[in-house]
Amino acid sequence: MAIIDVAGVHMHVQRLGPGGGRPGGDTVVLLHGLLTDSLASYYFTVAPAFAAAGLDVVMYDHRGHGRSGRPATGYGLERFVDDLGALLDRLEIPGPVHLVGNSFGGTVSFGYALRRPDRVASISVVESEPATASWARKIAGLLDRVRHEMTVNETEALDWIATHRGGHTARLARAAGRLVRDTAIAAEVTDCDLVTEDALRSLDRPVLAVYGADSDLCEQAPWLGSLLPRCRTVVVPGHEHSVLVEAPGRVRDLVLGWIAENASPGGGDEDGRDTGRDGRRAAAVPVEVNVP
Amino acid sequence: MTTTQPTGPSGADEEAILADITAMIALVLEDDGLGDTEVGMETRFSRDLEFESIDLVTLAGHLEVRYGREVNFAEFVASMELDDIIELTVGRLVEHVSRCLKSAGAA
Repeated sequence: MAIIDVAGVHMHVQRLGPGGGRPGGDTVVLLHGLLTDSLASYYFTVAPAFAAAGLDVVMYDHRGHGRSGRPATGYGLERFVDDLGALLDRLEIPGPVHLVGNSFGGTVSFGYALRRPDRVASISVVESEPATASWARKIAGLLDRVRHEMTVNETEALDWIATHRGGHTARLARAAGRLVRDTAIAAEVTDCDLVTEDALRSLDRPVLAVYGADSDLCEQAPWLGSLLPRCRTVVVPGHEHSVLVEAPGRVRDLVLGWIAENASPGGGDEDGRDTGRDGRRAAAVPVEVNVP
Repeated sequence: MTTTQPTGPSGADEEAILADITAMIALVLEDDGLGDTEVGMETRFSRDLEFESIDLVTLAGHLEVRYGREVNFAEFVASMELDDIIELTVGRLVEHVSRCLKSAGAA
């Protein structure tokens, strides 16, 4: 683990690389979702297989989440996009990277790719959408509901979650409650320049968009596919929003395929790719630590 | 009564590993600490220690610092579902560490 100071916030970063002294191939950066999510959703699902496949894997907790710092303010979407750019600078990652974003992590990925397409080799998003006006309405409504529930009815809400979704989910919800109560995230996150359809039409980076067939977001698939010049959409039957943690094998294969198709020229380790979960062991590669 | 000789990681028995991991758990829990909770082989990370998945990531970091790359937590849990990982007992992790250290020592 490394804690890296980014714009005054301590960011928790984990990096996995191919073991056995092999040079790392392309870099893939994994971005998690909002409130209850953290880099653990990747660490315990697809990340080891990505490293075993020869990729240099970077995961981090967004500001306010997981083991990263939780400032009182500074949660506009643009700040999350800034964090990604600053982190790539600090880690001195050469060449374009592959972005993988789950839910809100995908929204951040779209934001970064629109801002710096030169630094992005490909994008894979899972159950996600760009920061359009309709996204902003949805997220604002969701955060408002969570804040209300966790302020007015926290005990009842947590009891219900513990009974219906298990104790671990209830603990994640309690942490999410702290985030929405103690910080300005609910008021700030949608305060950003919204993405227009014209902007999406101009995004020439290859985008893989994966959705659960039973998720509300699934209707995004044809819309996104019609706008983005280079987009493949995949709908996974039998799943709702939690496709990443419920169908990690499927997500792993789809994303690895997409990255291989869109590898940087000369930057990859094509011959050594091994997409199996039981492939070569992934070894954690130490990352520069800089705690101010 | 068994006496444990501190002969380095490869000679460590499960009791010593359990003590190591218990200390790491206290570090991971930070301010909340372990309190009166006694950690044993049957203790479950999620239910008994109130670990979140991100806490297990932190624990994995401590394991690597202590034992080196022979003990690869990510590899240990690679075949498990996320729900099973957070339901792990401390004992299963102790046994895994012990196995890794023995095979590294035999190599």
